[in-house]
Amino acid sequence: MSERDTHVGQELPAFVAEGASATSAEWAAPALLKAAEIACEAAIAAGAEHADAFAERGHELSVSVEKNAISSTDARTRSSVSVRAFVAGATGWWSASTVTEAIAREAGRQAADLAKAAEPDPDFVSLVSPEPYPVVDRLFDPAIAALGVKEVASWVTRNIDSALSVAPDAVVSGESGTRWWEAALANSLGVRAVHRMTSASVSAQVVIRQNGDVGSFYEWDSARNLADLVPDEIGATAAREAMKYLKSRVANTATLPVVFGPLAGRSLLMGLCAAASAEDVQRRRSFLVGRKGEVVASERVTLVDDPLVPGGLYSGAFDGDGFPHRPMTLVDRGVLQTYLHSNYTARKSGEANTGHATRAGISPTNVRPALGEKTAAELIGEVEDGVYVVLGQPSPDTASGQISALVDAGFRIRKGELAYPLKNTMVAGHALEVMKAIDAISSDYREEPGLIMPTVRVSAMRVASGE
Amino acid sequence: MKREEIKQRFSGLQGTGAKRKVGFLELRHTSVRHSSLMLQDGRADRMGAGHRSGLGVRVLLNGAWGFASTESPEKADWASALDDAIEMARVSTTRLDEPVVLADSPAVTDEVSTPFQIDPTTVPIERKLAAVRGYEEASGRVAGNSVANLMTGYNDAHQFEIVCNSRGTLVSTESVRAILWHAITTQNGSVRQRGREVRAKQAGFELVEETPAEEFSVRAARRAVSLLNAPPAPAGTFPAVFHPSIAGLLVHEALGHNIEADHVLAGQSILEGKLGTKIAADCITVVDDSTIPGSWGSYRYDSEGVPGGRRLIVEAGVLKGFLHSLETAGKTRVEPNGSARADGFSHRPIVRMSNTMILPGKSSLQQLIADIDLGILLGAGQWGYVWCEKGQYTCHAGEGVMIRKGELAEQVRDVSISGMVLETLASALGASSDFELEMPGNCGKNGQSMPVNGGGPYIKVSDVVVGGQA
Repeated sequence: MSERDTHVGQELPAFVAEGASATSAEWAAPALLKAAEIACEAAIAAGAEHADAFAERGHELSVSVEKNAISSTDARTRSSVSVRAFVAGATGWWSASTVTEAIAREAGRQAADLAKAAEPDPDFVSLVSPEPYPVVDRLFDPAIAALGVKEVASWVTRNIDSALSVAPDAVVSGESGTRWWEAALANSLGVRAVHRMTSASVSAQVVIRQNGDVGSFYEWDSARNLADLVPDEIGATAAREAMKYLKSRVANTATLPVVFGPLAGRSLLMGLCAAASAEDVQRRRSFLVGRKGEVVASERVTLVDDPLVPGGLYSGAFDGDGFPHRPMTLVDRGVLQTYLHSNYTARKSGEANTGHATRAGISPTNVRPALGEKTAAELIGEVEDGVYVVLGQPSPDTASGQISALVDAGFRIRKGELAYPLKNTMVAGHALEVMKAIDAISSDYREEPGLIMPTVRVSAMRVASGE
Repeated sequence: MKREEIKQRFSGLQGTGAKRKVGFLELRHTSVRHSSLMLQDGRADRMGAGHRSGLGVRVLLNGAWGFASTESPEKADWASALDDAIEMARVSTTRLDEPVVLADSPAVTDEVSTPFQIDPTTVPIERKLAAVRGYEEASGRVAGNSVANLMTGYNDAHQFEIVCNSRGTLVSTESVRAILWHAITTQNGSVRQRGREVRAKQAGFELVEETPAEEFSVRAARRAVSLLNAPPAPAGTFPAVFHPSIAGLLVHEALGHNIEADHVLAGQSILEGKLGTKIAADCITVVDDSTIPGSWGSYRYDSEGVPGGRRLIVEAGVLKGFLHSLETAGKTRVEPNGSARADGFSHRPIVRMSNTMILPGKSSLQQLIADIDLGILLGAGQWGYVWCEKGQYTCHAGEGVMIRKGELAEQVRDVSISGMVLETLASALGASSDFELEMPGNCGKNGQSMPVNGGGPYIKVSDVVVGGQA
C-alpha cells in the first residue's frame, strides 16, 4: 500500500472549510476522507444498508486567447461531496458543492432517504471491499500546483508568437491551464482511498485566410507533470498544419481505403472500447452484446487498457467505486477479451471486476494499441486512391454500431501521396465491419502521457462528399 | 444563504472594488437545487438530488478581464475571490490587443421569476414516479418484443441567480426548469436502433401534465421499431428536406455559432465582414428570441443583467445582426442585446444563443417534395457541430425517408449529413408554413453548457452530403 495514494490511519486534521485555504495545494485529502466517512456514517444511521461517499477539492487556472491576445484569465476553486446510499439495492445519491461536516451529514441523510424511496434492485450484491492499492507514480507534480498564473499565461502567449513566426497572418485562439485536485472515497465496508493529481494543458487553434480561402487546425498538449508538457511548439505546429488545408476540395462518393491519423484513429478505437461497457451490454443497448470471446476486429487489433502508467492522463490507483486498478487486455488480436465492469455490473454478471467504474458510469482508461510493422508514411504510401482523416470523430453509435462521421480535417490520397485537403466529406460504415477491415496499424505513433496513438488503416469504407 | 445577505455582501465587495480602481466589477451568485429520477426496464432504482451554489467575480482592470469563482459561502473567501479576479486581470494585461470598452447599458434593478404552476418540490416522489412509469409502459407496449432497453427520466432544477455590477445593476432571477426524456433501444437480430425524445421547458411539474405519452415516449418507440426494418441511408449528395427539428439543429449549429459576436471578433466566424450582405436564400429569415414564455432557451435577463429580446439575425437571406455581450457590443458600437450567458457561477458570461429559429414560409411539405425526383427527408434531429471558421458542419438525424418522384418512399436509418454553411443556406429552395420550436438541448461552448432551443419549418435544400453506408 502506497502512502502516496492512501492515507489510511493517519491522524485527520480539520475540515477543508475550517482549515486549509481553498486555493492552497497543501495536502488536505485526509480532511476530505473524514468528510466522506461522516457522510457514509450519516447514510447508515438514516437507514441505508450500504453507502459510499466521494469528496474532492481543487483549483484551476486558465488563460484564454482570442485573435492573438489574451481575452480572459480565470481562477476557479472546485469542491464537492457526493453520496450513494443503498437500500435493498436501490440507489439514492445526493451531492453538494461545499464540503463541510454539516453538509456531509446532510448528504448522507438525504441519500438514504432517496434510496428508501427508490425501488429495490435484486441485482445489487454489495459494495467494494477494502483491498491494497497499487502504486501509481507521477500523478501529482508539485511544480504544477505551485505554478504562477503568469507562467501559465506565457505558454499560450509564446504560442501566439510561434504561430505568427510561421504565418504572419495567423489568427490564433487557444487556452493554457493548470489544475490540481485531491479526492477521497470511503464506503461502509471500510474502503478508504485518497489521491491527488495535477494536470497542465496548452491548445491553439490557428486560422489562416488567403485570397478568400480558409485553412485551420487545432493542436494541443496535455500532461500531469511539467516535465511531460511541451508547450512551446503548439502554435507553430497548428499554423503549419492550417496552411495545408487551404484550397480544400471535395472528393467523390465511393468505397475507398481510409487511413485514420493518430487522433482520428484513437477516436475510432475508443469507440469500440466505449461500446464494451458492461452496463450498456447488460442493458442490451450495445452492439457488442454477446460478442465477448468473439472476433470484433481484425487480428491486427490488440488493445491494452493500462490505468497504472506513471503520469498517464487517465491513470489512477482506484476506480470510482474504490476498486484497485490494474492493466488488462481488452482486445487480443481482434478477439474481445472482456467487457468493462464496475463493481455493480461485475457482481451482476458473476464476472471479474475490471475496475472501470467512474462516479457516473463506466469508462476505459489509458488505451494502448499494439503497434504494427510499417510506418504511417508507408501505410499511406500503399494506398492508390483513398482518404486520410487527420481530425474527426469516427466513433460508432454505441447501440447501432453505425459510424457516420465528418472528416473535420483530412486529405485525399492519390498514388500514395496526400494529394489535396478535403472539405465536406464523410466516412461511414458499421463498426464491426470497419474494425474487421483494419488492415494495418502503424509502428510509429503520437504519444501523450499514458496514451499511444498510432495510425490506423481501414481497407474500405463508404466515402461521401459534396461533389 | 439568504438573498438579502448576498446583496449586503455584494455592496461591500463593490466598495472594495471601487477602492482598488476596478473599472468594472460584476458579482454573480447562483444557487441551484436539483432532483432526478430514472426508470430503467421497469424499475426506478436510482434517485438523486443535490445543491450547488457559489460566487463568480469578474473584473475589468485597465481594459483586461479577470475572473474567479468559489463554492465557499465564507465571507473571507468571497473577498479572496475578488483579489484573485484582480490578479487574473493583471495577467490579462500582459498581452492585450486593445483595451476592452463595454457598451453603455442602463443600470437595471429588478427581481423576476419565470412562471410555473406546480412547484416540483411539492410533488411527492410517488407521483413523479407514476408519471414516468406511465411513459415507459406506453413505450414498451408499442415496441413489444423488440424492446432491448427502456430508459425514462425526469429532472427538475430550481435556480436563483443574483447579478450585480458596478454600474448599479442588481437583478435577481428565479427560474424553474423541468426535463422529461425517454430513450428506447430496439433489437431485431443483430440490428439495434434507438428512439429518443426530450421535452424540456422552463416550467414546473406541469410539464408532465402537458405531455401525453402519445407525443413523447410512444413517438420514440414507433421510430425505434420502424427503423429496425429500414435499410441504411445511401451515401452521396442529394436534394433534401429538413424536418423542423433538423432545421433547428442546422440553424443552431451551422448558422447560430457563426453569429455569436465573440466568434466573429475572434476571427473565427465565416460571417465576419458579411453584415448587411446576402448570405442565404430569400426564404431564410432567422431570429434568436429569448422571450418565448416557457421555452427551454428563454430568459428575462442575461448573465450580465441585460434584458434579453427578439434578435433579427437574417431577414430574407440578408445578414442583419449578431448576438452580443456588453464587450462585443462595445467593440462594434452597437446596442447590447442581452446574449451573454454563463453556465453557473464558475464561468464568466460568453455570447450564447437562446431560442434560435428559421421563421416559417408559405409552402406545404407536399409542395416542397413534389419536384424532387430522388432525395431525402431528414427527421428527428439529434446532435451536430460546426467548424465556424470554415463553415463546415455536420448534423445527425435519427431517421430519414427517401423521396422518390415527388413522393415519400421508404424509411432509412443511420443518417448523418454534412455541408458548408453558406452553400447550404444559399441552396435553400423553400420553407413550409408548418413550424416547430421543439429542439431543446444543452449547447456546449468553451467548456460551458447552456440550455437552448431551436426550430423552424420544413426546409428544402438543393443538395446536402449524406454520410450513409449504402
